[in-house]
Amino acid sequence: MRDISLSSLLFTLSSPLKGSSMTDAALPLQPDAAAVERPKSQSTLTRVVQYTGLRMIAMFITILIGVYLTIIIANMGGHVDNIRRGYIREMVAISTGQSDEFRNMTAQERREHVDKLVALQEKRMGLDQPFLLRSFRFLWGAMILDLGWADNMSSDSGSRQVRNIILERLPATLLLFSTSFLMLFFVGIFVALYLSRNYGSRLDRVIIGLAPTSAAPSWFYGLFFILLFAALLGWFPFGGLVSAPPPDTVTGYALSVLNHMVLPVIAIFFSAIFLGIYGQRTFFLIFSNEDYVDMARAKGLSDRVVERRYIMRPTLPTIVTGLALSIIGLWFGSIVLETIFNWPGLGRLFYLATNIFETSVIVGSTVIYAYLLGITVFFLDIVYALLDPRVKVGGSPGGQV
Amino acid sequence: MSKKRFTFLAVLLIAALLFAACGGGDAEMAEEPAAPAQEEQAADETEEVAAEEEEEKEEAPAAEEEEAAAMSERAGAWVDEVIAVEEPSAAAAVTRMDLAEIDAYAFSISDAEVYATVQDMDSLTYSNSFGVYAELTFNPAGPVFDGTGKLNPFAVPRIREAMNYLVDRDFISQEIYGGLASPRYMAITNAFPDYARLVDIVRQLELEYAHNPDKAAEIINEEMAALGAEMVDGVWNYEDEPVEVIFLIRTEDERKEIGDYVATMLEDLGFSVVRDYKTASEASPIWIGTDPNEGQFHIYTGGWITTAISRDQAGNFDFFYTNRGLPFPLWQAYTPSEEFDAMSEKLDLRDFTTMEERRELFGDVLALSMQDSVRVWLVNQLGFTAYRDDVSVSTDLAGGLNGARLWPYTLRRAGEEGGTLTIAMPSMLPEPWNPVAGTNWIYDTMLIRATADVGSMPDPFTGLQWPQRIERAEVTVKDGLPVGSTHDWVELTFAEQIDVPEDAWLDWDAVEQQFVTVGDLHPDGLTANIKSVVYYPGDLSELTWHDGSPLSLADVVLSMITTFDLAKEESAVFDEAQVPSLNNFQSHFRGYRIAQTSPLVIEYYSDQYTLDAELNVANFFPGTPWHTMAVGLLAEAAGDLAFSSDKADANEIEWMSYIAGPSIEILADHLESGATDGHIPYVSTLGDYISAAEADVRWSNLSAWYADKGHFWVGNGPFYLEEAFTTEKTVQLLRVADFPDASSKWEGFDTPMIAEVAVDGPARVASGDEVTFEVMIDFGGDAYAIDDIDEVKYLVFDALGELALTGAAEAVEDGLWQITLSAEDTAGLESGANKLEVAVAPLRVSIPTFSSLEFVTTN
Repeated sequence: MRDISLSSLLFTLSSPLKGSSMTDAALPLQPDAAAVERPKSQSTLTRVVQYTGLRMIAMFITILIGVYLTIIIANMGGHVDNIRRGYIREMVAISTGQSDEFRNMTAQERREHVDKLVALQEKRMGLDQPFLLRSFRFLWGAMILDLGWADNMSSDSGSRQVRNIILERLPATLLLFSTSFLMLFFVGIFVALYLSRNYGSRLDRVIIGLAPTSAAPSWFYGLFFILLFAALLGWFPFGGLVSAPPPDTVTGYALSVLNHMVLPVIAIFFSAIFLGIYGQRTFFLIFSNEDYVDMARAKGLSDRVVERRYIMRPTLPTIVTGLALSIIGLWFGSIVLETIFNWPGLGRLFYLATNIFETSVIVGSTVIYAYLLGITVFFLDIVYALLDPRVKVGGSPGGQV
Repeated sequence: MSKKRFTFLAVLLIAALLFAACGGGDAEMAEEPAAPAQEEQAADETEEVAAEEEEEKEEAPAAEEEEAAAMSERAGAWVDEVIAVEEPSAAAAVTRMDLAEIDAYAFSISDAEVYATVQDMDSLTYSNSFGVYAELTFNPAGPVFDGTGKLNPFAVPRIREAMNYLVDRDFISQEIYGGLASPRYMAITNAFPDYARLVDIVRQLELEYAHNPDKAAEIINEEMAALGAEMVDGVWNYEDEPVEVIFLIRTEDERKEIGDYVATMLEDLGFSVVRDYKTASEASPIWIGTDPNEGQFHIYTGGWITTAISRDQAGNFDFFYTNRGLPFPLWQAYTPSEEFDAMSEKLDLRDFTTMEERRELFGDVLALSMQDSVRVWLVNQLGFTAYRDDVSVSTDLAGGLNGARLWPYTLRRAGEEGGTLTIAMPSMLPEPWNPVAGTNWIYDTMLIRATADVGSMPDPFTGLQWPQRIERAEVTVKDGLPVGSTHDWVELTFAEQIDVPEDAWLDWDAVEQQFVTVGDLHPDGLTANIKSVVYYPGDLSELTWHDGSPLSLADVVLSMITTFDLAKEESAVFDEAQVPSLNNFQSHFRGYRIAQTSPLVIEYYSDQYTLDAELNVANFFPGTPWHTMAVGLLAEAAGDLAFSSDKADANEIEWMSYIAGPSIEILADHLESGATDGHIPYVSTLGDYISAAEADVRWSNLSAWYADKGHFWVGNGPFYLEEAFTTEKTVQLLRVADFPDASSKWEGFDTPMIAEVAVDGPARVASGDEVTFEVMIDFGGDAYAIDDIDEVKYLVFDALGELALTGAAEAVEDGLWQITLSAEDTAGLESGANKLEVAVAPLRVSIPTFSSLEFVTTN
């Protein structure tokens, strides 16, 4: 479908596309009835603003509900309070029970002392207030991105602010997983395109044959590579972010980090690349058989032009969606892989937070993920419109075809 | 694709799966908690390691010995650098040690498979540690729960007592723990001194409560019938419903298998067991958080840990068996017999005057605790610390490497001087470091200990203290208190009454910022149970802090001030979290007094005492200088940071970190203002000890230190903190070159002198004949000196398995003791096979060693 009004909108929104070939006559040709039927009282801008506003409100409500559900779930509907009370008592029991320091206290004094210690800890963790009240306070803080303070966790540098706890682990996770995903993405796309052009070739059969190896998760390859390249051959370190002590120079540090990244990156890469190539190759093959591609070929266009304009273009929204969601998926890192490689990333952080019921960190990270997801989905709508000529905003129910 | 290629790929995939399966298992192992061992075995194994090391030493060429002698001039730590890194997996750590990537793993590993792996590796050695133990905690409420109306058989003491007969502790030790545990029957640990002191009583009770399932069944059947329960088709019923036992089973370690084992035994006896598998966080709200009368559990697989050698375990009964232990619902449900209650309290309060009186009381309480059995003790676990075989280091018998105060003073590559050693630990730097209420994470504490010196050093094998920065000490104890001494650096005397001088400091006036004296608060005088006088050597200013500042009396006095000031509401740095600690301290504190400034002599008065004079010596040697404390105090007073997490959370400010994070910039600001003003904290008092010039020097030194290192962690230990890489989880410690002690000062503390004991004597003894047995005691092939042995006790169990005789062996010469059974003794023995069991309690280690010999008596 081609939408002339959308084209004009795209030109308004996206200057880089001005003069591009998106109105190329070779695009699927259909008469633009929508432009004729659209009520004239609503300008394009109004429709875009209205649509954007509604989408934002819907997303905000979705995030609000999602965050509150997270708060309830992370706190087990308030049961975490009981767990924490139990934990406090257990810790106090262990620390004071057999200590010689308390031997000279009378039973009453000891009891008062323990009660005081317990009360202090309960107050510190806010357990002296009902959970329902605190849950709404958590919600308000979360929605305004005031992530607050952790009760039992500190950031690597010692800060108790949830924001710092998360942000200090973010670079390591981003570095590892974005490197891996970018490699996967670009290698996947190019190899898949190559294979779609050389369908049935020996390489194609080999890669398709290797696709089932992606059934094994990245940590599986991680363990395998550690055994092989660290323990047996000693080529790469077992894990960690950098050698100990970390090199003094920036270059030395960077090289050391790269050295430590090799095994985990390869593990992630191997765990996904063959299946990824297989999927994208199949995807490209399907689009290669569309009628309009045959028509383009029949018109005598070169393979390169056909591939770029008639195969890649319509597949881009799907690819971009996958990439965007994968990138925000990096937010949670990978618990097992990071643990195996002792990588100081978000995955291990969230695992620890979950284990010790540090709900502030769990909620904080979920809030950020929810916002990231919401914003990504919102912008993907626009990106679709930019990339896919079949998409239009407003004018017809649903706003999207 | 050809068939060959498919085959190749299939083989590759299978190989990969196998590798991963092995690796996965290892990774899980690392997360499993501590494990245990048979005591005698453990001792033997430790001895083997020690013996191997001894052999290696003997084989060392003379040239190396000469070289070692030349090295003895070195001061401070043996190594130049220690790198601490994080390695969560014990299995991975062992592999990395084998590859020489790391040199030691500061974690008490308890996994039997890893233990076996380490034993098989020539490149590694290990040391054992004790202090973790498992038990069954019973809910004593009932016999009918208010909450559910259901029967609780464990409300009946006899049924609980019968559980001692039901469980096979040897099976648990050997099969469930794979040999990394030893049976435990009572509330005292068999690696600590009280066990050796009471060995004859304990062994008798252990024999009495040995595994006897038939006896257990008999008692339980009898008591269940008395409760009104009926056996229907092999299942106990109460009021027409099966008797259900809710068993909270912890899942993180061997307690899961213990739970299953005990549950099966109970099911065999006719109980319907609900196996409620729980993690720690899931279980604690139930067992420690609910009212026992609600009936949410009947049994819980409990576990406890002691990270330091406890030389007095007499308080365990009051804690574990009476409602005085803790003010939590489970403890409040404890209803020991009046006799047990009174005696355990008496023991806890040390209401006795001689050790003999204590022993009798202890013996009675041990027996009564078995009859009460709200806890049935199962095993003492054994952990081990692994390190490369070319590494030598002191490890604590209770706390392992991470619990050893001596580790930075003894760590070295055997026979070498200098170099770098890398120590891995399961986790590090989870919380901020500050000198008041910073991290208490056990692995961070280990590193912190390397940066701070101490007045007296805990012996890693006995728990007693040795002087480090103390010249000598005098301890005066009130007449009638059972205190004894072992080492000659402490002079122990007794006095009818100990008066506290009226000029001794007793409290702190946070408004006037001055000490309040005994004379102010107690014009009629004040007495104390104990007085310790510590004599510090020479001039304190000869010692320096890491930033080059000389130590001064002000450092000592500031530590006294902050003990009070942070817990005083009127103070600018008041912290509610410090109040309970101060209250506790003041409950026994009776004053301190600086009797002399050069050399420094400090008197300390208290009502709190321990059985050992060495542990009653009050140590005021500071580990933090006043000027770095002052920076933190300024930040705290300004409300920018807080020393404690409690105050930080309450005020929503950062928990103070001296080594990294957002605190650093804030502290730097206060350093600048302090340096500009020439700030002297608590000037009303410390002004007497700090001159303006000294203050300027201190601030200048700290400014230079911060500019160079980027942190505020200044200590006086054998290592200084070069840098803490918080995200990378690495800490770099460098040796202090001008440390005042020779590196060899603590030599000999790397291997515990656990005695090796053998008993020899006739295999056949005629009844009525006098007989002599020889007890050979040595360590690493050398005779154990008589002076290093506390006592050698013997027990004779007759042919019926009853304890027939007890007594003490007599010393003949170093390494040789003798047991003589008189004609009268042998005449009293039943005909048949007897067992002579010998317990040797050395003074150099807290662990007794046992050995036995069987002999036959004939008429």
